[in-house]
This record gives sequence, structure tokens and C-alpha cells, in this order.
Amino acid sequence: MSDYAQQQEVTLPTADPNDPYAFPASMPSSVDKEPRSFDPDAFAMPTPKIDDWRYTPLDRVSEFFNVFTPSNATSVAASLIDGTSLDSIEGVSFREIAKTQAPAGTVLKPSDRAAAVQWASTQKAYALEITQSQDTPVLVTVKGSGLDLDAIELVFTAAADVHADIVLEHAGQTRLAEGVEISTGKNSEVSFTSVQEWTPDSKHVGSHRIHVGEGAHLRHSVVSLGGDVIRIRMDQDFGGPEGDLNMLGIYFVDPGQHMEHRTMVVHNYPECRSRVVYKGALDGKKAHSTWVGNALIQPTAPNTDSYELNRNLVLTPGAIADSEPNLEIENGNIIGAGHASSVGRFDDEELFYLQSRGIPETEARKLVVRGFFGELVEEIGIPEISKHLMGVIDRRLARGESDDMKQVLEEN
Amino acid sequence: MQHTLEIKDLRAAVETKEGRKEILKGVNLTVHSGETHAIMGPNGSGKSTLAYTLAGHPKYEVESGQVLLDGEDLLKMTPDERAKAGLFLAMQYPVEVPGVSMTNFLRTAKTEIDGKAPAIRSWVKELGEEMKKLRMDPKFAQRSVNEGFSGGEKKRAEVLQLELLAPKFAILDETDSGLDVDALRIVSEGVNRAKEKHEFGILMVTHYTRILRYIKPDVVHVFADGRFIKTGGPELADELEETGYDRYLPEGSDSESALA
Repeated sequence: MSDYAQQQEVTLPTADPNDPYAFPASMPSSVDKEPRSFDPDAFAMPTPKIDDWRYTPLDRVSEFFNVFTPSNATSVAASLIDGTSLDSIEGVSFREIAKTQAPAGTVLKPSDRAAAVQWASTQKAYALEITQSQDTPVLVTVKGSGLDLDAIELVFTAAADVHADIVLEHAGQTRLAEGVEISTGKNSEVSFTSVQEWTPDSKHVGSHRIHVGEGAHLRHSVVSLGGDVIRIRMDQDFGGPEGDLNMLGIYFVDPGQHMEHRTMVVHNYPECRSRVVYKGALDGKKAHSTWVGNALIQPTAPNTDSYELNRNLVLTPGAIADSEPNLEIENGNIIGAGHASSVGRFDDEELFYLQSRGIPETEARKLVVRGFFGELVEEIGIPEISKHLMGVIDRRLARGESDDMKQVLEEN
Repeated sequence: MQHTLEIKDLRAAVETKEGRKEILKGVNLTVHSGETHAIMGPNGSGKSTLAYTLAGHPKYEVESGQVLLDGEDLLKMTPDERAKAGLFLAMQYPVEVPGVSMTNFLRTAKTEIDGKAPAIRSWVKELGEEMKKLRMDPKFAQRSVNEGFSGGEKKRAEVLQLELLAPKFAILDETDSGLDVDALRIVSEGVNRAKEKHEFGILMVTHYTRILRYIKPDVVHVFADGRFIKTGGPELADELEETGYDRYLPEGSDSESALA
């Protein structure tokens, strides 16, 4: 036997080729078996038996499962966050486009029936394209115009090397199916924040499809504060090595509301990093939240570093929080893949401790909830959003506090 | 100014798996500003229940009696109202409150107790000085309330609050437990400093006489089976150290009750 052959013999793996754990790439995918298609009929009608829909109150969103004629009454507008018109700003353009016109329909494909139905029903598409770095966040507002069913497609693109912040604000009354496509160029640094603050009778079924460029950093934040039903499914992939995806989510669920966020992170290139952190507070009877965090690390993605976390704070009895992390790791050569998930009740002992120091119950709750969200709100990194968000949370938790206390809480 | 705390025939019970159990069986006590009362007794006698009932913990249900602070009945108030009326409970097991920084918590509490926000500059200075006296690392102010604190650090944080919130009456529930000699001295000195400055009355609940070497009691009470059964001067503590609590326990009573 030659030296070369000997050396080979030593380094060859000796695993059983039939052992799926030795060759994980040959394992069937368990995270996500659904097809990817623009055709609604490629997907079965949702039932509680289909994994993707098991937590969703199907009877409350059934109108989103068959192609419909949209009202086209939803208004969509863009400016800088300080109100400045984009006309005078270089490197940003916002326009209505045809659905058949790129960049619409270029970022991944719908991953569930509602998303395919939305695409098929949509007549109005809008594109925000950023080709030069922006110091001031760009704001796109989507304003609902009543309970007639509507569908829109929004596309956000950032060119290579661009640094920019995008805020997508949803307000008003609506029953909206919304597709959001986000594509970021090589080595870009982009933050994208979608705020859902609908009226309590509104419904919003959404699909975010996200492509993170090679070496690019994307912070994708979702803030859901109001609506009868909000269900947002997020799919993502990387366009090359060393991409960095940071997905943040905050939700505050009132009695009877259902807020569902499903993140699907796909590591398809080496050396990429992903973080998913979703936190929610649930207040009152039949407040229902669902977080499902899927992460798939493909054989093509060595040195992946991924982590996902979901925490829920149940403020009053009678609320339900579903929290389900799913990891599928098809590559043994990774830096990390972890998850954590919890549902905690507002602690009576914490409350008593704070009260015994003179802090009334409502203030004590506020302190704890602010503490719960604090770090995450800071991380979103848009001061206008952070301030607004804390204000909303405070108003939800209490009314009629003294001016002195308001000042202290704000300074803290 | 002189203040008076009067506990009159206080009875309280707790719901257990075996049903309702009376723990405080007619407690009577009067404490004035500037006095230090040691409340000593065997495990399970109800000492800690007394402390928590005075502070208004929801677990303990008052069946009858009054607790008057300058004539106002604390039992009719919520825990935060009791604190505002001037009562402070230093807990045996201070609770962790994740995400709420000590500095935020202390300033919020101070604002509530005083009815107005403290001036920022003098407040920061006072906080820094008091922490230094208690040998607390300034970094503690930025950490979450009691989160990850050692037993000794938690007790120092309780005494820090006692100094800053300046109550009329302080209940110290086994403040000596879990402290080594150095920490016990630092904590005791903190209590003595605060008492000298604010002239509050102290109810010091303790199992051991060790802390009494540092915080000198004016009055020592023996608490057993839900009530005070003997009262004396400091010499009573020495006697307890010698003879233990056995002679104060009724025949066949359960001195290790988990309801302590």
C-alpha cells in the first residue's frame, strides 16, 4: 500500500451510508414541506391539520383563501420620515408599477395559499427603490380604507453598498392581503421596520419575501400593535456568503385578537449569520399569539451561525401564546444553531415587591412590561419608532398617571 | 416627629392544600419611632407571616384586628399605599425583576413615596454615596432589580432602599440570614445609619441572636404559635441563646411548619 493510499484511508469517514444522521443532507426536510408557487391551486385549502395553519383561526381569515377582486381603495404613499417629499431626494424612487414588471415578483415565491391568492388577486403594485445611501429613514404608509377586501404588492430594493432605513407603517381600518418583497444588494446595510397598528376590527394577512445580498446586513423588524387578526409569514434566503440577518418582532395582543408571526430563515450560503428575536405581551381574555420560527441550514451553508428566541409575557389570565421553534440542520460544520422559547405569566411576587416599595399596581405593570420590551425596542434603532412604541405600550397598560411619574418614566 | 405603630389582636390565615390554616392568632404590639424591637421565635412560629401580613402580601388573609400607623389602619390599604404611609419591609428573599434597572426602580419608588420626582442631580449624588457606604459596586445601579445578585448583594440592596425611602417603620425579615460576618456588619451598619438619620422604628424578625450584636434591640419579644408570648429587655435574647426556644413551644406543636 502506498503512503498516499494510507493517508486517504485515515481521513475517509467510515459512517454507514444508510444512517441519515451521518449524512444529514439526505434527510427529508421536516421544517417545511409546502411548495413555492404563484399559483393558488398549488396549495391545498388550509385546514387545522396542515402545519402552517394549525394555530390560525381559519374561520376568521377564510376570505383570504380564494382569489378575489380587490377594492383597490388602500392608499400607499412614501416620503422621508420627517415628511420631506421624495421628489427632492436623490437615490430614492417610489412609484406604482405593474405586477408583471420587475422588481415585482422577483423575490422568492409565495409559500402558502394565502400568499399565492394575494398575488393572484393583486392589481396594484408599488416599488420603493433605493440606489444611494440615505441618512433619514424613508417612510411608506399604507392606509386602510374600510372592510372591503383589498390586495397589494410592495417591493423594496436597496442597491449594493447602500445604507438606509425603511419604515412601513400600516394604519386605519382594513381587510388586506399584502405581499412584501425585500431585496438588498451586496454589502448593503439596511433596516426595514413594518408596523401594524390597525383598528380592532381589521384583518391583515401578509407574506414577506426577503433576499439578503452577499455580505449584506439586514435588520428586519415587525411591530404588531392592533388588529382583529394579523398573520404574517416571512420567507428569506441569502444571495451569497457572509450575509447577516437580524429579525426582530414585537407584538402586543389585546383581548380577542390573534397575532401570528412565522419566520422562515434559510441558510443556503456559507458564513452567514441569523438572529430571530420575537417578544410579545398578551393582555386579556382570548388574546392569542403565535410565533413559529423555522430555521433551515442547508448542506451548502457551512459555518452558519443562527439563533432564534421567542418570549411571551401573559399579563392577565385567559390569554394563549403558542410558541414553536423548528430547527433543521443539514450541515454538521456550523458555528451554532440554537433556540429558546418561553411563555411566562406576569409574576405576582414581582408585583408585590414593586408595590411594597410604594409603586402602584398599574405603574408596576408598566415598569415590568417596559423592561420586557426595552432592549428590543432600542435594537430596532429608529428613535421615532422606539418612542412611539413605548408610548403605545404605556397607554395600553394604564391611563391617568401623574405628570411627575410620566416624566420619571420617560427619563428612565 | 413621633410616630406610633399599633398592632391590635391581628389574626391572619393562609389557604393550604389541607384547607384554611390560621397562622397569626391574636398579635398585639406597639412600637414607637426610634425603638428597635427584636421579634424572635422558632421556625414556623409565624414571624415572617406577621412581616408579610403587615406589608399586605395577598397570600395572607386578615381575619380580624387592626394595624394602626398614627391611627390610620394599614389593613385597609393596598401594599403601595402602606409603603406611602411609611411602612417598609426588607424581605428575606428579595424578588428579581428582570428588565427593570435598579436606578429606574429606585427613582420610581422614591417619586411615589415622596409624591414628587427627586431632583436629578442631588438624587444621583445621594444614590452614589449610599451605595458606596454599603460597598456596592456602582454597576449595580444599571443591573436589573435583584437579578443575579448574590444573597449578600440582595440584602445590601434592601438596606439601600431602606436608606433612600426613609420610612416611619421598618420591618427587617431575617435580614441576617445568608450573610457572612463582613456582610452582616456592613448591612447592620447601614440599618443603624438609616435609623439614626430617619429615626424610624424597627421590627427586627430574626431566628438568631447574631444580628443583635450589631443592631441593639430596646425590646425583645418571643413569638411562638402565632402570638407574642414573652417580652423583655436585651437580656431575654441572651437567655434564648442559652436555652433555645423549646420551652416556649406548646406540647406536640409543629415547629418546622413550612408556613413559616
